[in-house]
Amino acid sequence: MNGNEVEISLQVNGETLRERVPARMHAADFLRQRLGFTGTHVGCEQGVCGMCTVMVDGQAIKSCLMLAAQLDGADVRTVESLAAGDRLNDLQEIFKRHHALQCGFCTPGFLMLATSLGARGEPLSREQIREEISGVLCRCTGYEGIVRAVEEYLLAKPNQLEVAEVSS
Amino acid sequence: MSRTIEELAPAAELREDIEPATEADGEKARHRLIGESLARKEDDRLLRGDGRFTDDVQPAHQLEMAVGRCPFPHARIRSIDISQAAQLEGVRHILVGSDVRALSDPLTVLRPVPGAPELSYYALAQETATYEGQPVVSVAATSRAVAEDAVELVEIDYEPLPHVTDTLGALDGNAPVLHPEVLDSNLLVANRDSGGDPEARIAAADVVVRGRLRSSRVTALPMEPRGVLALWRPGARELTVHSSTQVPHLMRKQLAESLRIDESCIRVLASDVGGGFGQKLGVYPEDILACLHSTALRRPVKWIEDRLEHFRASTHGREASHDYCIAADADGRIRAITNTYTTDLGGWNSSFGSAQLSSVIFTGPYKVTDGAVERRVAITNKTPIGAYRGYGQPEANFALEVLMDRLAREVGMDPLEVRRKNLLRTDDFPWRTPSGATYDSGDYLRTLEMAAEAVDYETHRAVPRRPRADGRLVGIGLSSFVERTGYASSRFLANRGSQFGAHESVTLRANRSGGIDLYTGVSSIGQSSETAFAQVCADVLGVEYERVRVHAGDTGASPLNTGAFASRTMIAAAGAIREAATRFHDKTLRIAGWALEAPVEALVIDGGAVMHRREPERSIPLSQVFTRAILGQGVPEGEEPGLEVSSQFEPPEAAFSFGTAAAVVAVDPETGEFEVERFVMVHDCGVAVNPLVVEGQVRGALVQGLGAVLGEELRYDAETGQLLSGTMLDYFAPMAADVPPIDLFHTEVPSPVTTFGVRGVGEVGTIPPGAAVANALCDALEDYGVELSELPITPEGVWRAIAAGKRGDSPAETGERP
Repeated sequence: MNGNEVEISLQVNGETLRERVPARMHAADFLRQRLGFTGTHVGCEQGVCGMCTVMVDGQAIKSCLMLAAQLDGADVRTVESLAAGDRLNDLQEIFKRHHALQCGFCTPGFLMLATSLGARGEPLSREQIREEISGVLCRCTGYEGIVRAVEEYLLAKPNQLEVAEVSS
Repeated sequence: MSRTIEELAPAAELREDIEPATEADGEKARHRLIGESLARKEDDRLLRGDGRFTDDVQPAHQLEMAVGRCPFPHARIRSIDISQAAQLEGVRHILVGSDVRALSDPLTVLRPVPGAPELSYYALAQETATYEGQPVVSVAATSRAVAEDAVELVEIDYEPLPHVTDTLGALDGNAPVLHPEVLDSNLLVANRDSGGDPEARIAAADVVVRGRLRSSRVTALPMEPRGVLALWRPGARELTVHSSTQVPHLMRKQLAESLRIDESCIRVLASDVGGGFGQKLGVYPEDILACLHSTALRRPVKWIEDRLEHFRASTHGREASHDYCIAADADGRIRAITNTYTTDLGGWNSSFGSAQLSSVIFTGPYKVTDGAVERRVAITNKTPIGAYRGYGQPEANFALEVLMDRLAREVGMDPLEVRRKNLLRTDDFPWRTPSGATYDSGDYLRTLEMAAEAVDYETHRAVPRRPRADGRLVGIGLSSFVERTGYASSRFLANRGSQFGAHESVTLRANRSGGIDLYTGVSSIGQSSETAFAQVCADVLGVEYERVRVHAGDTGASPLNTGAFASRTMIAAAGAIREAATRFHDKTLRIAGWALEAPVEALVIDGGAVMHRREPERSIPLSQVFTRAILGQGVPEGEEPGLEVSSQFEPPEAAFSFGTAAAVVAVDPETGEFEVERFVMVHDCGVAVNPLVVEGQVRGALVQGLGAVLGEELRYDAETGQLLSGTMLDYFAPMAADVPPIDLFHTEVPSPVTTFGVRGVGEVGTIPPGAAVANALCDALEDYGVELSELPITPEGVWRAIAAGKRGDSPAETGERP
């Protein structure tokens, strides 16, 4: 076993961690099974469905396409980082208001993707939003609520979006 | 008759708070929560990533399971050698077909096909496997990776057998018979229903239009694949099963039957389910296997379906070929409709088998007294078909509505006018169809007029058909529909061999904090039942919405129920919740009246307290009333202690939702390239408990329906019998950028056969898109003689139809004038 393990150190949701991981373990399994961040979901393990989308160094990535070993030195944010205590953050509240989720399985992926779009600090048209969020699939909502929610989120937070949070 | 768009219900908006009741005539007016777009109960945990899906439960000492599957569509299993796999470090247990046969019974069918022989199967293949992906061997190991490695090391000697994958081809005399021990052909069964004398009407008709219309095989594709976690405690004789299922109580029954243990030993929990759409109805082989591993090892064993498996291991949907015939007068009045159709069962009968509702609604929303429908079920070497959102209604609607437009062209009338002429009118209800269904009520015509107005149909018709500046031709297509939601009583089901009932149940239990715990066996699959149940309960009781806490999907804690499918949950549960809440309410008032020394008639529950209607300073908090009840102290003489009510309700009849959809499509007549530029849906689901949720259900189902129109297809190679589109990359599932603009309009005709007048809403959006888009394309390309008869509709298919139309050999020629 030992020859097939890798030691990594990284930040996850602001916490510094040092872990030994199997070389073939992908990042989504690592986040879920090792660290207990089960809000990151797994839907296809081939980078199509986007359920496993998290932020790595400020960028939205599909964590099933990364090995845990590649997270060495990375700053990772998962959906668990969004709410503060009992309070949902603005993006989560907007999703709720627009009924942008039904079964909720894709929701963490969309929230992290939207957070990364927000970090760019520029509003997008609905058509652009539809293109930008096409890397995450939803089978319940028909996307309308998600598109409206992301639009409102980007309009509500021009320029100053959670850049501070992202880089923390 | 019709109303303008401005009069329609505005788009739903979410209300975060609950307004205080308003004063009226010196008394508090009742504030109704039914009809409010309240914030969902389910949202907070899901938005935090704090839902509890099956794979989120990670017990200590958990083992993981992997399944080896037959790579051939049809093969005899000569031998299985597990010796190498068993030696791999980390492997704990291996099961093959003979083990499973010794330890368990075949999976039971919840909804058998009337008159059909049993065609159920063991969790692992026995002598032969009849579809690509059928489980053959199962391994429990310390990790999924090790279990998969072990599966690779199992040596299986397969002898490929002749196979058949084509639905109609399977019924051909030359096809290999797939279950010769049970049947001497691949026809599982044929069922016929009829009314009146359709043959005589057809013989006497001015016009007869016939067509063969096919819907492809698709998959529900919930974003969460299936999963199961089984834990056997032998001392307690307790098998705990976490499952991604729509029907915890039915699954418990099926597990007990296959595992040969009492239901009382089994607890099924479905906390959060990441989408179901019918696919997660009932037990699957992997559920049995995880339980068998766990009972052998006395350790938790988990199986999480990966997406590659999902395309082969989870039931598929649709795939049917409909031979429709419409006979009409020269003025477009329909005199008879017949439909002989064949559904594809796949290799075995799954828990729900292939769709059975095409027969129920085969005459659509039209006033037709003479008709006949025959359903034939064909066995093929493909993954078993199961329930999928719509369950036969999208297939029949596509066929009938496409043929309605052909009828219009045949008699030289506008498709809108032909529908107008034949739609059932408000005074026709209740309407009994030739296949024996009873449509309860509705204003079908109004939905047609509203849809036509919304897409400016008359203007479109008035303008000559000419290419736009971009070279594209624009067409508008209509599709009117009915949808059976819920189903009639258990007596009706019993005649059809159904292994489930028609009732829903609920338990309401007071707690000392002044809250109400609501227990239901309905699992949360995204349909917002926690929200809707709490809304109905709080509405009837007169308490705040926040005061009701819903506990869902645990057979150990909930009253026995039926489950979340067939657009039936609210139809049945509303009655149970109303009954339980009414009894709960009355007892609360009796105890409060005793405490306040006031007659019950003078009291009202308002938010968190019971108060005197005319002397509001005389009040008592619910927490105190409930505590009195629970302690049995300070309650009226003779009043039983406790405050807990269970109620069951079985709806007497099904309710039929209805509506009309319209698609605006632009198509390039040179290439067949097309785009749905606008989609309009006018829909009636009766009284909406939560309008925002209703809108979400309709939109979501519409996009699934559009997916099946625009590209979703599980295609099998005829020669090799292999699934060609069995990965997420190869299977088209609509992304946000693929969805056309959709405008929704609702009408609200309360159903007279349900509590509160609700109708089901979960499936309806899947029904009309196929015909609406096909009819729009045929309208745009009428000058080319184009007819479309198959779903999905691809640019290539349209291009071929244009070529066929130019040659004059399109299916339009099937119209005849006897």
